[in-house]
Amino acid sequence: MLTTTRRAGLAALVALAMAGTAQADVTVYTAGPASLIEKLAAGFTEETGIKVDFFQATTGQVMARIEAEAANPVVDVLISASWDTATDFAARDWLVPYASPNSETVPDFLKTDTAVAQGVSALAIAWNPNSGTPRPAEWADLAKPEFKDLVNLPDPAQSGATFELVAALEAQGGTELFEELAANGAIVAGANAEALNPVLQGAKAAVFGAVDYISLNGKAKGESIEVIFPASGTVIAPRPAMILNWSKNQDEAKQFIDYMLSDQGQAIVAATNLMPARADIAADRPLIEDLNILTIDTEAVYAGREATLAGFAATFQ
Amino acid sequence: MPARSMGPVNPAITIATIGLVVVVAVPFAFIVLQAIFPELGRGSLAAPFSRLADVLADARLLRMTGNTLLLGLGVVVLSAVIAVPLAVLRALFRVPGALFWDLMMLVPFMIPPYIATLGWVMTLQPRGYLEQIFGFNLAPFLFSVWGIIFVMTLNTFPVIYFAVSRTVETVGSRYADVGRVFGASSWRAFFRITLPLSTPGLAASLLLVFAAAIEEYGTPAALGRRAGFDVLVTGIDLRVSDWPIDLPGAAILSLVLVVLSFAAFLVQRWVLTRRSYQTTTGKPQAFEKRALGGWTVPVLVAFGLVSFLATAVPLLGILMTALSRTLSGGLALSNLGLDNFGAILSDGPGALRALTTSLSLGVAAALLTGLLGALSAYAVVKTRIGGRQVLDVLTILPNALPGIVVAVGLILAWNQPWLPVTPYNTALILLLAYCCILLPQPVRYATAAFHQVGDNLEAAARVFGASPLTAFRRILLPLILPSLIASMLLVFAVATRELVASIIVAPVGMQTISTYIWRQFEQGSVGLGMAMAFVTVLITTVFPLVILSLLGKRGSLL
Repeated sequence: MLTTTRRAGLAALVALAMAGTAQADVTVYTAGPASLIEKLAAGFTEETGIKVDFFQATTGQVMARIEAEAANPVVDVLISASWDTATDFAARDWLVPYASPNSETVPDFLKTDTAVAQGVSALAIAWNPNSGTPRPAEWADLAKPEFKDLVNLPDPAQSGATFELVAALEAQGGTELFEELAANGAIVAGANAEALNPVLQGAKAAVFGAVDYISLNGKAKGESIEVIFPASGTVIAPRPAMILNWSKNQDEAKQFIDYMLSDQGQAIVAATNLMPARADIAADRPLIEDLNILTIDTEAVYAGREATLAGFAATFQ
Repeated sequence: MPARSMGPVNPAITIATIGLVVVVAVPFAFIVLQAIFPELGRGSLAAPFSRLADVLADARLLRMTGNTLLLGLGVVVLSAVIAVPLAVLRALFRVPGALFWDLMMLVPFMIPPYIATLGWVMTLQPRGYLEQIFGFNLAPFLFSVWGIIFVMTLNTFPVIYFAVSRTVETVGSRYADVGRVFGASSWRAFFRITLPLSTPGLAASLLLVFAAAIEEYGTPAALGRRAGFDVLVTGIDLRVSDWPIDLPGAAILSLVLVVLSFAAFLVQRWVLTRRSYQTTTGKPQAFEKRALGGWTVPVLVAFGLVSFLATAVPLLGILMTALSRTLSGGLALSNLGLDNFGAILSDGPGALRALTTSLSLGVAAALLTGLLGALSAYAVVKTRIGGRQVLDVLTILPNALPGIVVAVGLILAWNQPWLPVTPYNTALILLLAYCCILLPQPVRYATAAFHQVGDNLEAAARVFGASPLTAFRRILLPLILPSLIASMLLVFAVATRELVASIIVAPVGMQTISTYIWRQFEQGSVGLGMAMAFVTVLITTVFPLVILSLLGKRGSLL
């Protein structure tokens, strides 16, 4: 019995070890949607013959892995869901400067010396038309009595984009709006998907600051959900792609960035309902020029991040 | 008197020691080092102990620790209240449909906690399935401390149910019969003889439930945030997932969890070492169960109610979501269909690969932890080697370590640049993670079983010339095998669905069942994730049953 067990265990070990030894040519860590990186990787391999191994998780989980691996890093290309990562990593001098020939039509605010956007999402109101509530047009509408106890907010401590929205709206009109929302029974409901699901089922009527592409994908699948960009403005979340300076495959990494920004790569981005980074690529959704973008003083906003989050948490206690 | 190892080195002890060092001590050591040396990840030992003061002085720490204790004790008490009476009834009486009830008690364990919680949310929240069918919802209850304890209890009480029913069955009614011969009433015989003799199984399973409850992430994260109820694990997760990442802070908070779990372990040990619980003496026992008589109906109602809450409601919640084309369409007939199951099939390679990966890892983890668990428990209970308490402590440590911290410890340990070969970035790292997280299950079950095996049996084998290993293999192992197999089954079930560590340490390009499901949720494809979850629950329930029936009666859990 014991020997059989041991033999079976050994056989399983050997099989597993064999399964993991395939060498990757370029390793991508991404916070983006899984379907996006799957298609980009497949298209890239088809075009160049270079294999892509990717690790996909939330921005936080990707960062935790990079931090834990710091002694012996393996990641070549990082695609974050928060532009803050690009700024921070550049300040730490971890990035390779690279200007892809395909990035010419990427607007200047979506690229730096060391990072370029893969695509862009925006925050919006995700509203369920079957909820029996009037169609909201503005952020402030969600603090009205019709929406009492019916609004979810993603947690700004868990979502970089939500944090920037909170910072931008507070810079515009102080904390009053959030105090009214809290008094109206709005609640902070975890990360983006967790905030959206109750709205789909009807437990809540709207998400204040939903990531647009997830809701647009839901709508495409037939969910009763409408994505509303308030005319007063919203924030965008560009997803920076960058090459790490410890990468031993920098040429392949650059080729991957080139492919990501090619007509084909950007079409894949557009197909996931993200806004393409390049201005000359069409998409079947509102684009950056259709939106009123609120600008924030990034440096000051991130310097005050802890205070903003603490204030926000206290408001919704 | 326990048998003494005769040979110079008992190979069982050597294997157990090496295994425990690799699986538990190495990652744990790196977590401790990380807590002490904040710059460890960069390979620097600068500024030792610099983070300890500010993390431990955090005002929230006391509240989080208090909440963690409340949650752990609440789940233990409620689980025991539900599981112990059912287990005793199952062990001592002929309960009609006993095998069916066992299966119903097994399924909750096969439902990943985060999935079960989501099922409850979809059912109880406003306009959830309950309201769609019966017109009311229980959201205020669900999103409260009691809701969290309730949902977690329904997920963990099977651990106590199976451990206690097995132990009580082993103790049997034989010793109680002796009591009755001497004039005790049957109640008195039960409370003074059967129940006390079943203490090892009960104490071991209570400990497992406590440790699992304070370590569980999914349920407190999904329900607790809305109830304003934060526990240590959610605090740890925030430090690990919020940039800038605070690995030393997370490591220090994990050590607080370890202290809590260790305290529970000491209580359990104190209970177990106060007296002898040896009941398996090699003398033949008659397994004659009693009839329930007039109690049949109330007992069946109790089994039915618990099965309904623990198995039927979450499963139906999952199934309804999986069958809904859109979440917003609700339970309307026009909205139901097999689209999501079709999508799993059409995503064949991805979903199938995830299933294959997780199932093979689950089997490997069950075999390895079973082997290691039996040997460690043997070394701790049946030998008198020095340092065996250290081994015992090593086997309980992982139970207190949150999955995410084990993952970080494994990366820190196995991603060192000077290592010539490393399991990191291969499937082996997942296997190591699962073995580390789940080792306590087989160890606790096997320890409890060894406590009940009389030392005279091994001694007899040795008298007749058997080597220590032969005595272990031919005498002791078969006697504890039923318990061991039950625990390996639990390892298989949990390993195939483990989420938190899997996300962080999964090798690039590899998906497990849980990361596959989680990715569907992240993208708003809740139905697709639930369809995969439903398929998984079916497989992880049926697969072990098939194995068990192939093994025949000897290995039967049910």
